[in-house]
Amino acid sequence: MTHFISWRPILKILSRELLITILLLLGVSIIIFSILHMAPGDPLHIFINIQTQNPDEIAAIKRDLGLDRWLPLQYLSWLNNILHGNFGNSFRTGRPVFNELIGVSLYTLILTIGSMIVTLLISVPIAIFSSLRRHPVLSWGLTLLAYIFSALPVFWLGYIVIYIFTHKFNLFPFLSAGYAGTAKFNFLYFLLPIIVLGVGNGAISEIIRHLNAQLERVLSEDYIKAAKAKGASIWRHSFKEGMLIPVTTMVAAKIPFILGGAVIVEQVFNWPGMGRLAWQAALDRDYPIIMGITIFAAFFVHIGRFLQTIVYLFVDPQITAKGEEA
Amino acid sequence: MAEDILRVEDLRTYFYSFTKEAFIRAVDGVSFNIKKGEVLGIVGESGCGKSITAQSIMGLITDGPGIITGNIFLNNNGNTVNLLDGLPDYASIKKKRKAIYEISKDVLGWQKRSETLMNGIRGMVISMIFQNPKSALNPFMPIGEQIAESIMLHKAIATKKEALSFAAAWLERVQIDSPNMRLYDYPFSLSGGMCQRIMIAMSLSSEPSLLIADEPTTGLDVTIQTKIIELLKKLKEELNLTILLITHDMGVIMQLADKIAVMYGGKIVEYGLKREIMDNDSFIRHPYTIALLNSLPTIEEIRAKERLRAIKGDVPDTITLYRGCRFYDRCTLKNDRIKNKCKESEPEMIEIGTGHLMRCWLAE
Amino acid sequence: MRTRYIQKGAEVSEFSQIPLWRRGNRRDLIQIGIGLFVVLFVLSSYLVAVLHLLPNDPLQINLKEMMQRPDYKHVLGTDFMGRDILSRIIVGSQAYFMPGLLAIAIAISFGTLAGLVSGYNGGTIDAIISYILDLIDSIPKMVIILLAIALFRPGIYLIMLIVGLTNIPAVASLIKSKVIFLKKRNFIEAAKALGLRTRQIILKHILWHNCKTVVIIQATLGMGEAILIETSLSYLGFGVQEPVPSWGNMVAAGKDYFFRGDFYLSTAPAMAILISILGFYLLGDGLNNILEWRRKK
Repeated sequence: MTHFISWRPILKILSRELLITILLLLGVSIIIFSILHMAPGDPLHIFINIQTQNPDEIAAIKRDLGLDRWLPLQYLSWLNNILHGNFGNSFRTGRPVFNELIGVSLYTLILTIGSMIVTLLISVPIAIFSSLRRHPVLSWGLTLLAYIFSALPVFWLGYIVIYIFTHKFNLFPFLSAGYAGTAKFNFLYFLLPIIVLGVGNGAISEIIRHLNAQLERVLSEDYIKAAKAKGASIWRHSFKEGMLIPVTTMVAAKIPFILGGAVIVEQVFNWPGMGRLAWQAALDRDYPIIMGITIFAAFFVHIGRFLQTIVYLFVDPQITAKGEEA
Repeated sequence: MAEDILRVEDLRTYFYSFTKEAFIRAVDGVSFNIKKGEVLGIVGESGCGKSITAQSIMGLITDGPGIITGNIFLNNNGNTVNLLDGLPDYASIKKKRKAIYEISKDVLGWQKRSETLMNGIRGMVISMIFQNPKSALNPFMPIGEQIAESIMLHKAIATKKEALSFAAAWLERVQIDSPNMRLYDYPFSLSGGMCQRIMIAMSLSSEPSLLIADEPTTGLDVTIQTKIIELLKKLKEELNLTILLITHDMGVIMQLADKIAVMYGGKIVEYGLKREIMDNDSFIRHPYTIALLNSLPTIEEIRAKERLRAIKGDVPDTITLYRGCRFYDRCTLKNDRIKNKCKESEPEMIEIGTGHLMRCWLAE
Repeated sequence: MRTRYIQKGAEVSEFSQIPLWRRGNRRDLIQIGIGLFVVLFVLSSYLVAVLHLLPNDPLQINLKEMMQRPDYKHVLGTDFMGRDILSRIIVGSQAYFMPGLLAIAIAISFGTLAGLVSGYNGGTIDAIISYILDLIDSIPKMVIILLAIALFRPGIYLIMLIVGLTNIPAVASLIKSKVIFLKKRNFIEAAKALGLRTRQIILKHILWHNCKTVVIIQATLGMGEAILIETSLSYLGFGVQEPVPSWGNMVAAGKDYFFRGDFYLSTAPAMAILISILGFYLLGDGLNNILEWRRKK
């Protein structure tokens, strides 16, 4: 007596999902390529930083790089480069973009994932509390508070936190995560930006609203009433549909949003991540860097979506069944 | 006969409607009792409050604000408990605005208390099966796990493996083929009849002293309805079940019930043993019961393809406070002799035979 | 195309004869009240700025009156150059108001169109539109804006155009789920049977009667987001540039004073941001509760 998971439909759905993700990423690459070609100035400048002004030399470089070819061919060779991790060199530092991005993307991942956890730690209990309908006034107050935090400009929240910790408590000089190794309270360097982004990213109120609506809907379902009638825990029965699925949906949907918020928080806290790099690149018009960041960000977003599909697959038996029919 | 398993006295369940600013009197003073091994059938049109009665007994009513009062005495292995014990009587609060506040404030406390009272009774002493069995089973859990959960909660069985084999035995008992394989199926892949069998297995697996069957055949195909009724009948004889059967289907009542309570507009209008009400044609009956019975087509009529005889008129809304009889508008037996009486005052329950009560001025 | 998990209950709403103000509870009305107050504040400050009714010149540098606390002449005090903060905040609302309307208009018009077409037709058209919408959804808003900034150095209107474009998928999916839900209902069939043409059915029965609430709510939330984006960009130094005031660059300009303990310069515009975004969110939420009101069982 063992529980069989039928792998065939799951693999089928996952492979379809993978195909769609690849198609979407290809689409993103086409969009980025076209935007780069629409950019003012010679496309040559977008890919390399050249010093010469001589038209003959420029033409020669263009021929060498294949920039005089038919546009779709150019796209294919560009895509080939991207797939091999060759994003070009940064104008500012001259180093390969890919290496620079790998270095900073880890910091951004820590920041985004950490702040997502903080956001969930705040919003899930409030959502559960207000779906209980035990203390309507208190839960309304909490929801309003969540709205206020969502509306707070995250940079100003950052200022307050920095001020309190550097000036009032004198815990550490105002530095950044990059220097964290030597300081006494080094964990705070990591913790503070994560908490600030988690509290102030503006997603809390929406997550609470969605979770609350879904949880209340599930709690009024017939099967929850039946579970109650047989003396079982309604939370155990409502967990999958009322908690797991809405939380996953929201996490996947809010990843782009939090990545956007990371740009600002990294700026405020000197956090050496992708957002700060993107800001620097936008200032310097460092085309290869900003292009690489866009591709990386799209990649992160799709990893989130893919994980969401996997969670759905293992939570909801009906999706696998439908996959088998299709 | 044996002692009462359940005795309900003057149960009232009112909901407050904010949009209409009035109470909906879903259940308005219902009393009945069920003895061990007996099947009480509550019958009535939809909206007459029969499902709310069942849910009030189970403590499943959570939509506030509202009022639940009365007494529900449950015989739990010799100890009699009142399921509404200590729940304050809100019905007397009259001031409109204040009443809303008081009720919505106290419903929370009521719910808490109700939860503690019902803890250990739900599923253990009283089990319930629902209409639309497909939506009453958790769609995210294999059915075996759901039955095993019920078994592990209420029986002295600790391991899941043991509980699952117990569940398989119960599935066999409710006539499900290859039960060991079915244990791992999800509800969406099973038919409605199958789901209802599983619900029955689940609710009986804890061996409760009372089974509440809330419209057990609604939402099922006609052939499957018959099979479910036959199954319930068989199980009742095998296990000496006590059942509170709630249905709008006179046919189901005829086949299963020992005792009948006919509900109309939140009140019981006729109450008595089935043989008193149904089998004795010369005996006096409530006009509503007659109308219900008449709406059942006979075989001859079906052969002659006659139209179904529906009861004329609509179910009364349960908001308006009636002075007279609630059935007055639709009553076909009203005559000039008692017409004024019917219009002016509501009849009380009148005993017209041994244990046969009726709420009609005709009975006098 | 993509296996989206359809959230049950999200698209169901009942229409009834119960008047609007009776549908919600007191909280919704309070929320809407606060929201309307904020909208009024934003609108009037916009008007005041347009009509040159400002209490002081927002650009007038007056070094004698630097860093003043609020008093009779400067109701919200002055900044590090002696400029009147109240006037600057009022003018700052101009930075996002019209561009925000542009973003909303684009998101709603194209989103409604895409949602209607893909929901009503289904099939290949739906697949193509869904693909394009998924594509837009793939890149974080802020990143694509920074990409555009790096390449084109666009003005605030162009940025809000991009914001509007990135908001299309959200509106489209709402409208689409609504259309799919309504398509299953009988009255569309009835309208077809009565001989109404497809376009009439779409325009009158689906769009007007059933989607206007979505549009109103999305417009409200969209304005809140426009404020968020504009202030963030101005804070980062890409939006409105000094000396023209914007709430974002006012917060950024007050940064050094903030760390010295002079919170006021940053806090006043930050509060303006907070109150405005909060107002629009509360309004959107309250309207959502009332307009998309669901009849209780």
